[in-house]
Amino acid sequence: MKARISAAVVLAVALAVAASTASGSTRQSTRKAAANEVVVWVMTDAENGWPGALTAANNAFKAQHPGVDVNIQYQSWDSLLQKFDAALAANSAPDVIELGNTQTTKYMAAGALSAIKAANYPNSKTWLAGLKSSCSYNGKLYCVPYYAGARAVIYRKDMYAAVGVKKAPTTYSRFLSTGTKLMKKFGKNSNFSAFYEPGQNWYVMMTFVKDWGGDIAVPQNGKWKAVFDAPKAVQALTAYKSMVLKLSRATKTNDEAHPYPSIPFAKSRAAAFIGNGWEWPYVFDPKGGAAPKSFAAKMGAYPMPSHIKGRYMPTFLGGSDLAIPISAQHKSLGADWIKAFTGTASQKIIAKAGNIANTTTLANVNKNNPALAPFAKAAKYSWFIPTAPNWVNVEKANVLKAMGTALLTNKGSVKSVAHKYSQQVTKILNAKS
Amino acid sequence: MSSRFPAAVAEPTLVGRRRRRPLSLAGSWSAPYLLLVPASAVIAAVLAYPLYYMVRLSLEHYGLFQLVRHKGEWVGTANFAQIFHDPEFWHVVARTLAFTAACVSLTMVLGTLIALLLAELGSKMRLLLTAGLIFVWATPVVVAVDIWRWMVDYEFGVLNWLLTFLHIGNYNHHDWFVNPWSGWSVITALVVWGAIPFVAITLYAGLTQVPRELVEAASMDGAPAWRTFFDVTVPLMKPLFVILISLSIIWDFQAFTQIWIMLDGKPGPDYYVMSVYAYQNAFGQSEYGLGSAISLVTVGILLVVSFVYIREMVKIGELS
Repeated sequence: MKARISAAVVLAVALAVAASTASGSTRQSTRKAAANEVVVWVMTDAENGWPGALTAANNAFKAQHPGVDVNIQYQSWDSLLQKFDAALAANSAPDVIELGNTQTTKYMAAGALSAIKAANYPNSKTWLAGLKSSCSYNGKLYCVPYYAGARAVIYRKDMYAAVGVKKAPTTYSRFLSTGTKLMKKFGKNSNFSAFYEPGQNWYVMMTFVKDWGGDIAVPQNGKWKAVFDAPKAVQALTAYKSMVLKLSRATKTNDEAHPYPSIPFAKSRAAAFIGNGWEWPYVFDPKGGAAPKSFAAKMGAYPMPSHIKGRYMPTFLGGSDLAIPISAQHKSLGADWIKAFTGTASQKIIAKAGNIANTTTLANVNKNNPALAPFAKAAKYSWFIPTAPNWVNVEKANVLKAMGTALLTNKGSVKSVAHKYSQQVTKILNAKS
Repeated sequence: MSSRFPAAVAEPTLVGRRRRRPLSLAGSWSAPYLLLVPASAVIAAVLAYPLYYMVRLSLEHYGLFQLVRHKGEWVGTANFAQIFHDPEFWHVVARTLAFTAACVSLTMVLGTLIALLLAELGSKMRLLLTAGLIFVWATPVVVAVDIWRWMVDYEFGVLNWLLTFLHIGNYNHHDWFVNPWSGWSVITALVVWGAIPFVAITLYAGLTQVPRELVEAASMDGAPAWRTFFDVTVPLMKPLFVILISLSIIWDFQAFTQIWIMLDGKPGPDYYVMSVYAYQNAFGQSEYGLGSAISLVTVGILLVVSFVYIREMVKIGELS
């Protein structure tokens, strides 16, 4: 009897082991599109920041295709590519997908996106060059520019004035001294940051590296080599580390989306943060900072001043593109929806929400908006990630985010941290794909 | 035993039915196998095929390029060679084993204590405690992790506020995850918290089946409570302990959701356990072959750990 019970226990355990593993390895795929709908994956950024542009595009699309539903599925940056990979594997890819301009290269190289003809899309002659190049691979075009964004410092004019700073800083040393004064005056509240900078906001970290003349990775003898452990980069990272430790009490183990800096900013926990144009309205969004409308009078923006006199720090030219996956079921419907969404009417709404439109013809939309003009100014100097096909793996594995945490939590000297992570990046960039 | 089934009422109707419609297969040698067919088919569909697929993937180079074309590239055991030569992998294995050991022992000790408490409590308090345990058990893992994550949140967390409020120290803007020991303590607490109800309620059910007279006899002979517990209660409940410990090992060894959501889907290298490591390689690097190989190694280790443990327990059981 005893032996039989033991055997049953053994069998039960073996089954449980197998079941738990197997269920871990099968992943639910997204459902397939019905015959009369077009499935669109766009980021929640659109839902929060420019829902009007989506409505306009959907209406234009439905007028052209009565009886076809637009099924918009909002995605988050954290899980987009994992879901996209799963959908590609299960043959249930959407008809339109938004991809970040740092993510497109690998998918174009792997043949995951359909080639398109620029001439079929609105404003294609005046597309932003930076975005268009993120859609080009081996002389062919695989996606349509959607929008771009430049980052600038959003700050509290009243707090700056309280420490005697009436005009926004135009030099890096002035930026630092203002921050020090703010910490002295408001820092007794241990929630307060003069400059709210989450430890994993690697765009800002690498902005310093670029400003000091360093780089992330460069091609060398047919391979890629990460170079942010070079002397200039280490100098920049040292400056960044000392600035963050002095002026910021933001988390060191999370990024600029957890929470969005605009939320502590709206709650007067920060005198400034670096953000995209769309983060300005997010200060007032009920789902975001939920600040009252009157708060706007206290807000201002300025481009991050460089340590080189008379310049701004180069801003990361982030942006998004819209692509049609190779296994999409309704490619022509997808193309028509993209046309509607990237046309002038929708793009105007997107630009007014604080972004840079995909066409240079709309460059001046925000010229007379004092809140958003500094973002356009900041875009004067910009940088972009290395164009290695494997770059997206660096982002997906969160290597530079982990580096930010290591740098700011004293897991070794600046040089050793930079060296350790640049080796990791080199390894990923040169991995067989 | 018989009192649980109102057999006297049920039997006549059952027999009557059987007589009216006898199974034509009854008595034939194939009947048991035929009866097993539906269950086997279900197991094959939901278990065997994914397992087969995982084994196949582990022997292939399966990156994004292959994924788009649905066709892997055969590489034999190269994925396994790569894993075994990666020093980080062995760190991850050691970390996973340590984490599992900590979680399982804490779960069992605390679960047993609560079960004993349940047995001693009056009916009202027992009902209250059981209800609390059931609530914990019924909370979906994702929801529970999200709540815990908010409680230990750096910027707005209630735990930091409370610790500061009680003057235990200035925990304002205390980051629980900078120091991996403190971060793992939070995750361990969460996992143990979620696992205790099942263990406590099951053990309590077991305790009610321990014959009273044995316990009474032991205490009459002057045995202290702990002695009675270890020499009378534990041996009687050994099969229950074996299954609970084995299941806990399996669950905690594969803990993923807790770690993943707690760290916002981007755990740093200090927080890699085997499940996270496999996910990072498969989905993070689009190396699905490598990820499958890591998963298979996980299954292997888990089977070894469980079997060694069960064999030991069975041996002890047969001797006593």
